[in-house]
Amino acid sequence: MSDTYLELVNSGFTAELAKRLGLPRPARLRRFRAGDQLVPGPVLVLADGAAGADADALAATLLDRDLDVRRRPDGDHRWGAVVVVLTGVTGPADLSGPALDLAGVLKKLAHGARVVTVSRAAAEATDPAAAAARQGVDGLLRSLAKELRGGATGNGLVLADGTAVTSPSALGALEFLLSAKSAFVDGQLLTVQGTGGHPPADPDRPLDGQVALVTGAARGIGAAIARTLARDGARLLLVDVPAAGDGLAAVANETRGTALQLDLTSPDAPQRLVEHVRSRFGHLDVVVHNAGITRDKLLANMTPDRWDSVLAVNVIAPLRVTEALLDAGVLGEAPRVVCLASTSGIAGNRGQTNYAASKAGVIGMVRAQAPVLASAGGTVNAVAPGFIETEMTARIPALTRQVARRLNSLQQGGLPTDVAEAIAFLASPQAGGISGQVLRVCGQNMVGA
Amino acid sequence: MSGAAHGASHPGRAVHGDGPVIELGSVPSLGASQRRGLAGSAAAAATRRRDVAADALDGTTLLAQGLTTDPDRLTAYQHLVGAPAQDRLPAGFVHVLAFPLANALMVRDGFPLPLLGLVHLANEVTQQRPVVLGEEVDVAVHAERLTAHHRGVSVDVVAEVGVAGEPVWRGVSTYLAKGYRLDGATADRAERPEWHAPQPTGAWRLEADLGRRYAAVSGDRNPIHTSTLAAKAFGFPRTIAHGMYTAARALAHLDEPDAFTWRAEFAAPIVLPSTVSVRAGTDGPARVLDAWAKRHQLHVTVTPRG
Amino acid sequence: MAGSRRPVVVGGNRTPFARAGGAYAHVSNLDLLTAALDGLVARFGLAGERLGEVAAGAVLKHTRDFNLTREAVLGSALSNETPAYDVQMACATGMETIASIADKIRLGRLDVGVAGGVDSASDAPIVVTEQLRAALLDLNRAKTVQAKLAAVAKIRPSHLAPVAPDVAEPRTGLSMGEHQALTTAAWGISREEQDELALASHQRLAAAYDAGFFDDLVTPYRRLVRDANLRPDTSMEKLGALAPVFGKRLDTPATMTAGNSTPLTDGASTVLLADQSWAAERGLPALAEVVDLEAGAVDFVHGKDGLLLAPVHAVPRLLARHGMSLADFEIVEIHEAFAATVLATLKAWEDPDFCRDRLGRDGPLGSIDRARLNVHGSSLAAGHPFAATGGRIVATAAKELASRGSGARGLVSVCAAGGQGVVAILEAV
Repeated sequence: MSDTYLELVNSGFTAELAKRLGLPRPARLRRFRAGDQLVPGPVLVLADGAAGADADALAATLLDRDLDVRRRPDGDHRWGAVVVVLTGVTGPADLSGPALDLAGVLKKLAHGARVVTVSRAAAEATDPAAAAARQGVDGLLRSLAKELRGGATGNGLVLADGTAVTSPSALGALEFLLSAKSAFVDGQLLTVQGTGGHPPADPDRPLDGQVALVTGAARGIGAAIARTLARDGARLLLVDVPAAGDGLAAVANETRGTALQLDLTSPDAPQRLVEHVRSRFGHLDVVVHNAGITRDKLLANMTPDRWDSVLAVNVIAPLRVTEALLDAGVLGEAPRVVCLASTSGIAGNRGQTNYAASKAGVIGMVRAQAPVLASAGGTVNAVAPGFIETEMTARIPALTRQVARRLNSLQQGGLPTDVAEAIAFLASPQAGGISGQVLRVCGQNMVGA
Repeated sequence: MSGAAHGASHPGRAVHGDGPVIELGSVPSLGASQRRGLAGSAAAAATRRRDVAADALDGTTLLAQGLTTDPDRLTAYQHLVGAPAQDRLPAGFVHVLAFPLANALMVRDGFPLPLLGLVHLANEVTQQRPVVLGEEVDVAVHAERLTAHHRGVSVDVVAEVGVAGEPVWRGVSTYLAKGYRLDGATADRAERPEWHAPQPTGAWRLEADLGRRYAAVSGDRNPIHTSTLAAKAFGFPRTIAHGMYTAARALAHLDEPDAFTWRAEFAAPIVLPSTVSVRAGTDGPARVLDAWAKRHQLHVTVTPRG
Repeated sequence: MAGSRRPVVVGGNRTPFARAGGAYAHVSNLDLLTAALDGLVARFGLAGERLGEVAAGAVLKHTRDFNLTREAVLGSALSNETPAYDVQMACATGMETIASIADKIRLGRLDVGVAGGVDSASDAPIVVTEQLRAALLDLNRAKTVQAKLAAVAKIRPSHLAPVAPDVAEPRTGLSMGEHQALTTAAWGISREEQDELALASHQRLAAAYDAGFFDDLVTPYRRLVRDANLRPDTSMEKLGALAPVFGKRLDTPATMTAGNSTPLTDGASTVLLADQSWAAERGLPALAEVVDLEAGAVDFVHGKDGLLLAPVHAVPRLLARHGMSLADFEIVEIHEAFAATVLATLKAWEDPDFCRDRLGRDGPLGSIDRARLNVHGSSLAAGHPFAATGGRIVATAAKELASRGSGARGLVSVCAAGGQGVVAILEAV
């Protein structure tokens, strides 16, 4: 799905025209290509007065990655990233220094730069002043993200007390947020609450040797997830309804995976899936519940089949499948379950009561399943896409689609690969300290798709 | 291989011998003799000499030696009649080789019946062994057995074929000249048992241009097979299939053996185009094929020997 | 060593079958076979792998498709280093490819291979007339302008009309339906019996689809998800209302209709065959062993047997080789070229005179309970893309046998043009 407007306003004569007319000029986002630098310029690490040690530790790990890391905002650089370490703030006044340091470099950010705050969870602070400072980071970051231009994004890492800035998941999340893989993640705060996980043996193939199930893999976001997980080294079991079998076979062959045509809403589907996994793979390391449908209608006009089918596919099937996999004991030693939620499930969307109910349901399910997965050595998280250019969104009326594309800080729709990258990160060994979370991939959009 | 060297021992000589033997230096042109036959028939029609004496045959034998076969022509024939394109000449193709002589015999001044309008009633071939492509064959042709028929007078034209003095093939073609009388006598109509169509085992789709196509490979360009106008002149609604085409197709259908007797009875002409039902089966040692549309048209038996 | 080898059906994949001129009207045999192969590769995760061999074929084939199967491999997700070859045995092509690959596996020459077949009545070659062909060949050979002109002069307007492929038997001129009509009349098979068999075929195939039985046997293609010929809502009334199309020239009543005969169909099928140990090493299923096959042929040219009754003779030979009887099989698959083909086959095996005179047996071969026959429907409902039928039946039967447990046996019978047929014994591993 190409965004013609984005192509036009970024090319030659029409670019100049768009500029003079004052039209919004969405930037081409920096996206992952193997071999590219993690960030497009030097990394500046800023810190509050009490976070020096944390900042030094982070800077050292970044230096180990052969990055150009600076602790002071000096010199004439186009900064590739600014990491603002705010783990030491104890009162609102402590935000002032780092905020104003950051202000000084905002006009010197490279195209596709990253601003990442690293702070502690407000909910864990018993002291009101500390809580105010920690919560303040939230507002600072979300507002800053709306100011950034040129494909730059701002996101925050929120660490539970007791989770070191150099814990595997904190470093993994930081790297993800700095990288091109998080192109369409903007204005988000991701919480790391555990010290689990470990860096992959091969950073280029973090899922090497792991078996991953992707549902709804025949096209769109599911196909992108399959390709991304295959790139990361996973052996794939791809599932879709029998009617989508031809697309599924093509994706399976492209990713050297296997195709299983199965309607996950049928009564015996979880058992058939378990048997298939047991006989063909022995176990599963990664489960991505991606299959989803929309049957939009105002609630006033809702029909039972529209309501029930959406709930059945989007939330009931993931519930039953995860449960069956857990009961059968076919999940690996450190399983990763990733579900697809939606910004509609967070903010609501007119005409999508059924869809939003199912996707909000996924968020509730993930939160409740986190302790269950933890006892199995694993994690469960959700990714909530915003407006993603897919065959499904291509069916949205043209004008609505144009408006929906622009209603976010990046002024464009995301791509399926943006969702897939977030999922691949949450599925990676390094994300073991992140569970029960919802990561939005929406360009900081609050309108559901 | 010199054809002349085998002439003295030709099998035909021993068989008849009651008349002159005329050895032809080359195979007569069919076109020329058929044109001549047309003229002769016109003369016969003009003089209305419709009575034939029982001893009207003069016993002449026409002999041609060292005939060879063009492989392309053989292949075309085999394809057309549905025979495998083997180097073994189908018995029907040997008939084609001998046919110019038979034709030449029938247009000679002394032959008592007109060529054009002769109806092929039946054909019987006895083959000792197949002729193989590359063998030179000698052919001797004579006529015998002028016989009264209820619709006219019939005659047998006998062709004998040998290879290096060895008799290998003998064909008897029985033709009817309608409206003639033998010594003024007529024969009673032979009783034919009523015929009931059996369950078919196959069907032949015979195309409109089949007559022209068989004429091209056989050389038999009798216009009743190739021209609708000529066919109408002889009382047929359209052109009719060559009897020897249908007999040859039946022989191929019944899997031609090496040594056998092959008899075809042409019960009724097959007008082109048409689809006829056929039944192939067995009758004791014989292989039998019948073809019919509304009425019985063809009955072929192939009886392998030894 | 060879004795321990067991060729097993790992699984199968086919396209849904379309009626000629339908969903696949503009795709070729090569497209269809490649699609079926790709679906199989995806199902068993074989992308990029080099398999021992792929054998397949088509009955109606363009000359440009002389290497059809190899071209399909090159176009598929399999490694280009997988050898492939074409087989053609009319409607038994699929069975013969299975025989070929299974035998090589048993022999130890292959560990794994794919058997298959494809046919498209929509992609049938249109040829020129014999006269035009001859004239063009002469023209090509002609050296001088005069010779060329002479060759061209032989061409008549009527020679330029294209000739559609004829499904009639070359030696008899009768179409397959006309041949079956003779057999139908000879065995006195009623219209009602034929329609009942057709109805069961549709109902059973529809039920199998509804139960998800074909989820791992069929991959949709060109927006076709199920066999286009399938009529789940057909009935004896609807079937009874159809006019007969074959046997109208006979003096017995014509009973064969478009409802109890298979239509011209487009589609492709594939079967993954492997030595049992190869499958086990990869965690792939072993549905059923290909125990043995037998080919048969009858003399229909001279009316000795019906065109489609070769399996009537082949099955007793195969059973005798293994000391089995019809009662040893949990399921029997008899290809429904026509409903009457199946019924004539059953009647022949039940007929003491026929079994004595023609099969040389003391008594009847036996009868087959309809509950065991074509349990998930067959060609009357699914359609019959000639070379693809064997693969469809064997994959379906193997999956059904696997569900019935180790040792369950199935008998497969596929008749073919030219008076031939191939039959097989499958046994759940």
